Amino acid sequence: MAPPATAVADSLASPDRPRDSRANIDIMAPTKGVQWPYFLALGAAVLGVLQALIVLLYQTYVGLGVAGYQQPVFWGVYIVTFVFWIGIGHAGTLISAILFLFRAKWRNAVNRGAEALTVFAVITAALFPILHLGRIWKLYFLIPYPNQRALWVNFKSPLLWDVFAISTYASISIVFFYIGLIPDIAIARDRATGVKKAVYTVLALGWQGTGPQWKAHSRSVLHLSGLATPLVLSVHSVVSWDFAMSIVPGWHATIFAPYFVAGAVFGGFAMVVNIMIPVRRIFRLERYLTDYHFENMSRFILLTSTICGYAYAAEYFIAWYSGVEFEQSSFWLRAFGPYWLSTWCMITFNVIFPQLLWIKKLRTNLPFLFGLCFFINLGMWFERYVIIITSLSREYISGSWGLYVISPVELSILAGSFCWFSMWFLLFLKVFPVIAITEVKELEIHARDHGGAH
Amino acid sequence: MPTLVSVFDLPSHTAAAVRKLKDRGFDDLTTYSPAPFTDVEIAEDPKPSKVRRFTLVGGLSGVTLGFLMQIWMSLEWPIKIAGKNYASIPPFWIVGFELTILLGGFFTLFGLLIVGGLYPKRLDKHYSPRFSAEEFGVVVNCEERDVAEVEALLRAESAKEVTLADS
Repeated sequence: MAPPATAVADSLASPDRPRDSRANIDIMAPTKGVQWPYFLALGAAVLGVLQALIVLLYQTYVGLGVAGYQQPVFWGVYIVTFVFWIGIGHAGTLISAILFLFRAKWRNAVNRGAEALTVFAVITAALFPILHLGRIWKLYFLIPYPNQRALWVNFKSPLLWDVFAISTYASISIVFFYIGLIPDIAIARDRATGVKKAVYTVLALGWQGTGPQWKAHSRSVLHLSGLATPLVLSVHSVVSWDFAMSIVPGWHATIFAPYFVAGAVFGGFAMVVNIMIPVRRIFRLERYLTDYHFENMSRFILLTSTICGYAYAAEYFIAWYSGVEFEQSSFWLRAFGPYWLSTWCMITFNVIFPQLLWIKKLRTNLPFLFGLCFFINLGMWFERYVIIITSLSREYISGSWGLYVISPVELSILAGSFCWFSMWFLLFLKVFPVIAITEVKELEIHARDHGGAH
Repeated sequence: MPTLVSVFDLPSHTAAAVRKLKDRGFDDLTTYSPAPFTDVEIAEDPKPSKVRRFTLVGGLSGVTLGFLMQIWMSLEWPIKIAGKNYASIPPFWIVGFELTILLGGFFTLFGLLIVGGLYPKRLDKHYSPRFSAEEFGVVVNCEERDVAEVEALLRAESAKEVTLADS
């Protein structure tokens, strides 16, 4: 009986029998080598992070006054940006967990990129409460740890709920991301050499795709999806309660939790589109990321934009209907007060512009989608700015009203956060496949097995 | 003991071959698959994965630990807040829920590592990178006298290559 068994292993490299799958070759291409613009982008991102780090050192030394924190606004751009980045992560979990449970097969091409986006968005968001502390070395006060003073944290405070929600979300997102990556890391291991092979070998944990391994893997992904689904709904709800549990006019609303969750999914999808369009173009992944995927994401954007529009309208209605003059004046000031521009940007970018997606041609017009999603991201940042700043700057007592102006320190750290996020995403693109190869293969082989296209 | 390494193109053929082998009593086999296919997994081992037990234990531990921790810490450092009980259950649901998810998730990961036998190790002798491309592998250990039967069985189920190796 010939040939010998070793031929099975050797044949992969045999020039007359190229055995590697097209999905492996196409999707792993960015990890094999990249062009100089990649390093330019990575260098720019690292520089952006370094400038923010220097500014942070200055702020830590001088105090939060340089971040524009003064009476009456003590929650500024850092909290606005924290909520923004946490929201960005939500689309990733929705695509990986909720669409998995609904068996939406189209998610397979976008879930890896979206999961990576979730992880990096959450680790970016998690920096902001720390920056906002001022005395960053007291961070550990937030954690319930045994101490000589026998002090414990206040479990009735929404700020503490947030600590648990964000750290749980970050942990589960990383676990989910890593578990999904294991089979793809094994593909990289089988095709790498030298140091890269050694690193992939450790990370792949001996994955070989045996029956028991796949069964345990599929079951783990299913269970994590079941766990992550209520988690993702809870995280932005808990973030919204940071505001809604207070009695500040404009914040004290029961609609906040669903409103924040819909807004988070909306902004998150916009960011996924903003990232996946250039990734698809630069790395030539048109075969895997098709117009169909972008159309489906556009539909989600349209749906969640409409929910956001409803929430904006409901907020105004409730303020008027409540008969509480503080609420009414708070919402009047949003639209016609000193921050009117932010409010109208928010409404225009988040509610009016996305309605163009009712037109089918625009849902698959990628340059248009890219531009639209850029404005949606801007609009979602303004949404949080409007909620936080307008309410805090004009509370109950008119004598303590003030005007908040963004400081250069805040702008520098805000820019640094985008560079920090980009830096991680660029590194991810170089090291791991941006599309879940095994999930793409599952569809392709299944179609071949059943004599049709997926 | 001889080992037969076979290569298949399609999951349905792989699953059919595994089922036939098992029916004939050749249980000492391993499948390699480039993607998850339920048919192949069930053919190799029809029992449900034990990972679910890990998730359940993790989730239950999380909710129990979450509530006990909050109740104990609130009583240990009693401060009256808004006239509520020291150990006021409704707000504790938030952290209790988060810890349910957190430990449920971590235990699921541990379950995958333990049940799937995942740790940095040497790969199987007959594992090939072809199995992380697009092909399926079925490796069967059998007695010397059964080699011909196993080979015939594999080829009958569309194995495109069957090679003999000594284990």
